[in-house]
Amino acid sequence: MPNKLERPVKVMLIDDNIIDLKINSKIIFISKLFDEIIQCRSGEDALSYFNIHSNQPDKLPNLILLDIQMPEMDGFEFLENYKRFPPELKENCVVAMLSSTLDFGDIRKAEANPYVIKLLKKPLYPEHLEEFFKANF
Amino acid sequence: MTRSPVKVLYIDDEENNLLAFKASFRRQYEIYTAISAAEGLKVLENLSVEVIIADQKMPETTGVEFFKSIATTYPDPIRILLTGYTDIAALADAINHGDIYRYITKPWNDLELHNSIKNAHDAYRSKIDLRNKVKELEKTNDELNRFIYSISHELRAPLVSVIGIVNLVKMEGLYNSSGEYWELIEACSNKLDYYIQKTLQYYKNNKNISENSAIDFKKLVDQMIDLYAYSDRDTQFNLNINQTHPFMGDSFRIEVILGNLISNAVKYQKESGHHKVVDISIEANLLSAEISITDNGLGILNEHLEKIFTQFFKAKNNKGSGLGLFIVKEALNKIDGTIAVSSSLNHGTTFKITIPNAK
Repeated sequence: MPNKLERPVKVMLIDDNIIDLKINSKIIFISKLFDEIIQCRSGEDALSYFNIHSNQPDKLPNLILLDIQMPEMDGFEFLENYKRFPPELKENCVVAMLSSTLDFGDIRKAEANPYVIKLLKKPLYPEHLEEFFKANF
Repeated sequence: MTRSPVKVLYIDDEENNLLAFKASFRRQYEIYTAISAAEGLKVLENLSVEVIIADQKMPETTGVEFFKSIATTYPDPIRILLTGYTDIAALADAINHGDIYRYITKPWNDLELHNSIKNAHDAYRSKIDLRNKVKELEKTNDELNRFIYSISHELRAPLVSVIGIVNLVKMEGLYNSSGEYWELIEACSNKLDYYIQKTLQYYKNNKNISENSAIDFKKLVDQMIDLYAYSDRDTQFNLNINQTHPFMGDSFRIEVILGNLISNAVKYQKESGHHKVVDISIEANLLSAEISITDNGLGILNEHLEKIFTQFFKAKNNKGSGLGLFIVKEALNKIDGTIAVSSSLNHGTTFKITIPNAK
């Protein structure tokens, strides 16, 4: 968990659904909680972003909002890959799931994953995002 | 309909009996014979017969011993035991251990044996038919469950996007920009989401898996009130929760039951201006949890009381889906709970539930 917060604070959104990507980016933007939003259309996209910017800590996100159900690489598979990143890449970053799932299996899996600090539900309400932000940053 | 002839295996250590049997029945049945239990087993290994007739008195392995030995490996064929004298001990043994369908004395009467084989075959067919039907039903049920599940998910994802857009409209101050249209879109979306969530609850309740975990009723009720009364802050909740012992129960179903009842207590209220009160009392001890939820709302017509737990029952002017109480009842059935309701029109309703402690 990041102990000191240095501006700019960056959030990475990983979601295969462009509409949700757009909606949630907009909600985050209006909330003014984050200074920069990195949008990824898939887990693969996000992984390659990390690979490209592995030597630029100022480009790396402080929070990843990760969708669960995505084609090919789903949220949990992304986490499996994320796990293998060197610790310095992850030390200033936390992961929260962002999903519309009501499935117990998914919910339990998300809560059990040591990298996931919270399961946020879609639709994302600005109040919930703010509450989450205050609790973790 | 033409059916292939019934396959019958006859085991007897006397060659003459085998020949006589063949002579009498070869026109009606497809007959296989064996001179010993060991030979009989070889036949079973190579093809599936429907009826097995075995002589009781054979050297090495008796008929009953043979039937016992194939009880788990070949459970399907129907067994008939033949014996030359009425040996009560063998008979009792046969019935108790050999799963014998008929017991016939030697020398056999052709007509009697023929009828027995025919009946045995009918028994065989119904056994197999039943098993196939059960398998078919399980498959259909499984597919249906999966279908409902994935439909609910696929339907909900875009709906949640719509609700997200409405939120954005609110945040950008555009909510009142088109008369009441945004409000209507929001109301419809919430209603649809409610139906989808109820469908999912029903689906999950239908699955038989029941996992018991420790229940803290105080915590659970607080969560449920948070979840279902957020839209209605002016309802007063009086809680009286007394949990004397650890309580084990199916947390998903208990959540569904309490959630639906609390949401109903908040929802079926009189028009504004009325001081809304919901009393929740829970006594949880070693044996069970007695839960009572009382509201001072609209109440239920006497003639409706019996119908409120049936699927899709809705009173006129009722804003519900007709699923909530139905799901409550179904969930209680799965965990051996009971529910009773009493109501007085315009004064309110009380639901009393008992859930056994699964400890």
